[in-house]
Amino acid sequence: MMEVLCAPAGLAAWEHPRQGVGDIAGAGFSQALFDMALPFPVKELRRKGHDRAWLERRWQAARELGRQFRQAGVRLPLGYAPHFGYAAADWPEVSVYRSLIERSIRLGQEAGCRYLVVRPWLAQLSRQELWARNRAFYLSLVDCAREYGVVILLENQARSVHGHLVRGVLSEAEEAVSLVDELNEAAGETRFEFCLNMGASGPCGMNVQELVQTLDGRLQAVILCDSDSGEERQLLPFTGAGRLVCETDWLSAIRGLRAIAFDGWLVLGMLDTAAAFPPLLRPQLLALARSVAEYILWQVEMEKALARYPRRVLFGAGNMCRNYMRCYGEQYPPLFTCDNNSALWGKEVGGLAVKNPEELRRLPEDCAIFICNIYYREIEAQLREMGLKNPVAYFNDECLPHFYAGRLPEGEA
Amino acid sequence: MLELGVQTKEIVRDEDPEQGFRLLRSAGFSCADFSLNAYLLNLDIYDAHLNHFFDADIEELERFFMPHKQGAVRAGVRIHQMHMPYPVFVPRGTNEDNAYLWHQMAPKSLRICAFFGCRYLVVHGFKLARELGSEDAEWAQTEEFVHALAPLAKELGITLCVENLYSALGSHILEGPCCKARKMAERIDHINEQYGAEVLGFCFDTGHANLVGIDMEEFVRTLGPRLKVLHLHDNDGIADLHQIPYTFARARENASSTDWEGLLRGLRAIHFAGVLNFETAPVLTSFPADMKEDVLRFLARIGRHFSEQFGS
Repeated sequence: MMEVLCAPAGLAAWEHPRQGVGDIAGAGFSQALFDMALPFPVKELRRKGHDRAWLERRWQAARELGRQFRQAGVRLPLGYAPHFGYAAADWPEVSVYRSLIERSIRLGQEAGCRYLVVRPWLAQLSRQELWARNRAFYLSLVDCAREYGVVILLENQARSVHGHLVRGVLSEAEEAVSLVDELNEAAGETRFEFCLNMGASGPCGMNVQELVQTLDGRLQAVILCDSDSGEERQLLPFTGAGRLVCETDWLSAIRGLRAIAFDGWLVLGMLDTAAAFPPLLRPQLLALARSVAEYILWQVEMEKALARYPRRVLFGAGNMCRNYMRCYGEQYPPLFTCDNNSALWGKEVGGLAVKNPEELRRLPEDCAIFICNIYYREIEAQLREMGLKNPVAYFNDECLPHFYAGRLPEGEA
Repeated sequence: MLELGVQTKEIVRDEDPEQGFRLLRSAGFSCADFSLNAYLLNLDIYDAHLNHFFDADIEELERFFMPHKQGAVRAGVRIHQMHMPYPVFVPRGTNEDNAYLWHQMAPKSLRICAFFGCRYLVVHGFKLARELGSEDAEWAQTEEFVHALAPLAKELGITLCVENLYSALGSHILEGPCCKARKMAERIDHINEQYGAEVLGFCFDTGHANLVGIDMEEFVRTLGPRLKVLHLHDNDGIADLHQIPYTFARARENASSTDWEGLLRGLRAIHFAGVLNFETAPVLTSFPADMKEDVLRFLARIGRHFSEQFGS
């Protein structure tokens, strides 16, 4: 079952996290990302990472962050380990990074994390060499991860070319899949899975659909956020807009996640949006954020919802009904559709009989009614007023697996 | 030294093509990327305003382009590559217009290409991933188009070259057709095996790659010998500006934010022996007209710098 986690970056300051954690819990999030990178901002970590006392203070702050969440009743099933960002020049020797990760595994387990996102180690090396070094690095974590019962999630990376983010390691589908599989084979168990970070794919203009579908069951978490091509940025989904559209390719992401019947974690990331909002408005922002996450969850689970019921009918005989029949009519055939427009009764839409809504009274109780019209709330109220006990669900055609593409020319040139 | 090329748009004019070819020759270019797409503009195709330039029969078209062909020869310039008008399919266009692009414009473009003695014709793949639901389904349509042209391409000894493209959501540029190197290498091999000839190759567009953060070195290495032609140009990573390489920086150290070093490493690794071709017509309109030759010389100087990275 897919679940939503709230990422605390921008919401809960690591120095004094109580209010932010309270806001997250207050918005109804029962789970959050344990972001252990928060007390280790890249620039500071690079400058002071060798100072053991500094490191220890920051680890204590991370521990306190976890404690605050637990105290607020928010579970932390997924952790995110400290890292050195997207610029290869900022990264230390692999041994320094390994010690940070081993500490993250231990602290993560203490906070209740069963999974931990560990970015690949980065250096100015050829792709092949980087691959080989990372293979060795991840395998060196197996014993520690096994001991603490933590599964490590690899993550797609961006790479900074003098401030311009381009695709880094694990951003290509075949590469990501083969490394995960190779690591698991070498570990002799499923110790590695994958986290898709849309904050790393967005600036590189990636269509994540293929990455998602190729990863398939290896994909355990998705960090949801808007971004843009300018720089590293994490915005609340649907707020990164321009020219009257959201500039993040949610259609491809949702298509991919729906196609693989994704059932891992959706992690809501909104660092920049949250940090930009006045703290006084954060509770309202978080309420909106929760609705946004639920909307994405609903879109991703659309096909699962259709499959959930043994029988179904539609309500609405317009374009949404046609789109249903074109994309799902064969796999999930409805018994009929109905519409309040009496002129349509007795006719067919997309090969489906259109009936009077009164016909719904004859349905068996396990037959779901899928509303196929944007007046969802009004129609749902109408169904309740009719006293129907059938399950009522919303169908939506914004993220269909395919759209009409016109007719292609035929024949030889 | 590798040969240098540049697109003819904004340089070669129909009234006196030879003058334009002489200008680019004197600036340091021995090759040209003939802008056939200038005769049926993309904006007009999208707006369903086809000018029907390609209505003329091939003999008429050859007569029209004879001064261009002769001018290039007299100036000592070789037409190395050519760009077919694009798009070749408009999803919301009329069936009539799409059939015209497919059945008239495209095959005549090949004939014109052959008339110039040009080996490579760059074509755009179909942009249909959003409509059809996947990049694979999108490629299937492009492949149909390639199959429609392949017999003629084989007969004329032409290699059609698909290039990496982009799409957009608002002002955010996203990857478009032909951005998956591994898949493209397999697809090109598959088609060429069927025809027993190099009817399909690849045109790597550095500007488009930069917009969607493609790892240039890796992409070029993966394509290997299938990479036939180049569209070299630069941008800020945000908009398709077709500007001079090394122009843009993002950080305080003011180093180029485009991975030219990676590109050159990739080209060296595959022993690229083609033409270093610049697709930089907008540069010629952004600089004052009286600096056109200086700008072309500067581009050629960058081309020589690139070439020097290959060693002797």
